Amino acid sequence: MNRFLDWLDDRSGIRGIVKEALYEKVPGGARWRYVWGSCLTFAFFTQVVTGTLLWMSYSPSAQTAWESVYFIQYQVWGGWFLRGVHHYMAQAMIVLLVLHLMQVMIDGAYKAPRELNFWFGIALLGVTLALSLTGYLLPWDQKGFWATAVATNLIAEVPFIGPILQKIVVGGVEYGHQTITRFFALHAGILPAALIGLVVAHIYLFRKHGIHVKEPRPKKDSYFWPDQILKDGVACLAVMLAVIILTLYFKGAPLGPPADPSNEFPARPEWYFLFLFQLLKYVPAFWGAVIIPLVLGLLIFIQPFLGASRKGHQFNIGFWWCLLAGAAGLTFLAFSEDRSNINHGAAVKEAEWQANRVVQIAQEEGIPPAGAVTLLRKDHENRGRRIFAAHCASCHRYNGHDGRGYSVEEDPSAPELAGFASQEWLTKLLNYEHYTSLEYFGGTAFKDGTMAKKVLQKFDEEEQELLPQVAILLSDLAELPYQESLTEERRESLMDIFYDDLACIDCHDIDSEGEGSAPDLTGYGSKKWMTDFIINPEHERFYGKKNDRMPAFGRDNKLTPEEIEIVVDWIRLRPAEK
Amino acid sequence: MTQKANTKKETPETTKKCCSEDSRRKFIVVSTVTVSAACGLFPLASGITTVFDPVKKSSGKQEKVPWTKVAPLQNLSEDGKPAKFEVILEQVKDAWTTYKNVPVGAVYLARDGDEVTAFNLKCPHLGCAVDYRSKSNDYFCPCHNSTFGLDGSVTDVESPSPRGLDTMDTKVEEGVVWIRFQQFRPNISDKVPLS
Repeated sequence: MNRFLDWLDDRSGIRGIVKEALYEKVPGGARWRYVWGSCLTFAFFTQVVTGTLLWMSYSPSAQTAWESVYFIQYQVWGGWFLRGVHHYMAQAMIVLLVLHLMQVMIDGAYKAPRELNFWFGIALLGVTLALSLTGYLLPWDQKGFWATAVATNLIAEVPFIGPILQKIVVGGVEYGHQTITRFFALHAGILPAALIGLVVAHIYLFRKHGIHVKEPRPKKDSYFWPDQILKDGVACLAVMLAVIILTLYFKGAPLGPPADPSNEFPARPEWYFLFLFQLLKYVPAFWGAVIIPLVLGLLIFIQPFLGASRKGHQFNIGFWWCLLAGAAGLTFLAFSEDRSNINHGAAVKEAEWQANRVVQIAQEEGIPPAGAVTLLRKDHENRGRRIFAAHCASCHRYNGHDGRGYSVEEDPSAPELAGFASQEWLTKLLNYEHYTSLEYFGGTAFKDGTMAKKVLQKFDEEEQELLPQVAILLSDLAELPYQESLTEERRESLMDIFYDDLACIDCHDIDSEGEGSAPDLTGYGSKKWMTDFIINPEHERFYGKKNDRMPAFGRDNKLTPEEIEIVVDWIRLRPAEK
Repeated sequence: MTQKANTKKETPETTKKCCSEDSRRKFIVVSTVTVSAACGLFPLASGITTVFDPVKKSSGKQEKVPWTKVAPLQNLSEDGKPAKFEVILEQVKDAWTTYKNVPVGAVYLARDGDEVTAFNLKCPHLGCAVDYRSKSNDYFCPCHNSTFGLDGSVTDVESPSPRGLDTMDTKVEEGVVWIRFQQFRPNISDKVPLS
């Protein structure tokens, strides 16, 4: 071994290099406050290695980016863990950068003769943030897509060259293949190369000037190896453990539904950019994207000179504390505004639902070459929710919301449709109190109609007890997928109640030729009945002229036959939530 | 910086002051090397499984090869002269994408009455596409000059191919030829399906 090392040393001078690297003098002894630089190097090293491993399965294009990340997350052996480590280490890096920066500021290590190295450090901060921003888009999910759209729109604010610059970065006017390939080249090529160059310069300058230590020295001088390295290593280990815990706790990095410009999503950047996001609520984009960064940048640039005086140094430290406090305050505001916004919460839930749904379909059916976004666009359940929200929810509700989970401010003006035609739904319908409440016909002219005033309200106690039986009969006609059908005998006996005991047949037909004055209940709640009803509720089989504002969606071409079928299937699919 | 710590080294001052000092130092060095090694190995360890994913998925999990329609029997010459046909599978999964009805390869089909023989187009040597030569009525690989007879066996001793052309299961149902399309490990004398 020694002979080999001698040979190697003779040819490369390796011993000298190692010696120089390890026996750097640490004036005043090893200290915990010096660990941040090493932690950052460790974090970056992790990102390079895990990023390269991710690269082996990632495919940058609009039809394969989300799909390959889905593949990594759900199909590749240990892929979820790898993604998780890359994702959370990126966030740890931001935290470490802030810690490193504040330590340098407080210790005054940014002052002469270390100005140049301070600027390199600030440049490294910028490159790291750019790495985060570009990495965010690569999964091509809704979150990355919409959040990055905001960021690239800000580029256009740069005077004169903004719009051209934006086109170059985006690879055109619209987001697409070229956006991903460019962002990927930035994320995995240009930016890491820049970062490595800057880190080399940063470490070279750091070695040249040595560790900055405050006098009087706390302990006697020691060497980098092994005392400081042990402290650095333990700190890196702590970072590593934190990342592992986050990865295990959140089961890897999140993956939203595939990017879809036609599917709205509340754009929010990652937490460390939230302060900028919040700032843009108060200042014009030009200020947020150009003026403020420019002023701050200039101020930071001259800080090493300001720091020459005692007052200047204090100003510098105060400046960074204010900046951090401001960012923290804005971040807090952004979080609390979102938390108190019910619709934002619903939108996040909706995206979660879509993300789970698309993964479920992808696992069952596979992903077509056109990409996973087509799975959601074609999915009847997803479309059913959206059609209901767009066309039905202005009057009806579904479990109290608009079908997707968003609350609706106005009171409903038509019946709640979750569990429509189920036994529970009908039992409540046939109760006068419920019938005339907002949950059913309280918002319509029917609350004062014949059924309410002359039938339900007039039933005596004995008759009222029979009403749940009618509900069971009618619900059976609906043939709902989640309800068992009645036996022939039971149906016959219930028919007797419908015909004789309560004489419903006087107004409502079931399987008969006559035309009653109230809606025909033949096949009530079945797919065909609902489809016909939605096509034209004014048909004489249904409300006729008594129809109260329900549009004839099919007759007037407000919905296509396919859309009607989808929304009918969706309403019939499952019972109401308890 | 931490990665370099794996290299063991003595300090310049090697004078032993006392035993406790010495064991303390030893403890620090061992801890430092351990901690640094853990940090240095962590990134690779956190994702190395993904690299071996294809090996894991294929090992011992040979899926049942489906029967696939290739051509009507009447399209095959009755004199046994082979003809080339595309093999189109109903569903093919490539990592994250599922394709429907895509060509996945080609076969030579030769008829003998109601029986059909199917040869994979790929040369068992190194996977070049084999040609049927009607003049000499044999198969010929244009890459390394292997020749095969109509029964698929190697005809020329100079041929580098270690085995004859790979046959696949065939059946004829209602006038249609079906095969179980498979690929095999190249350049070994046994015919071993790839999985």
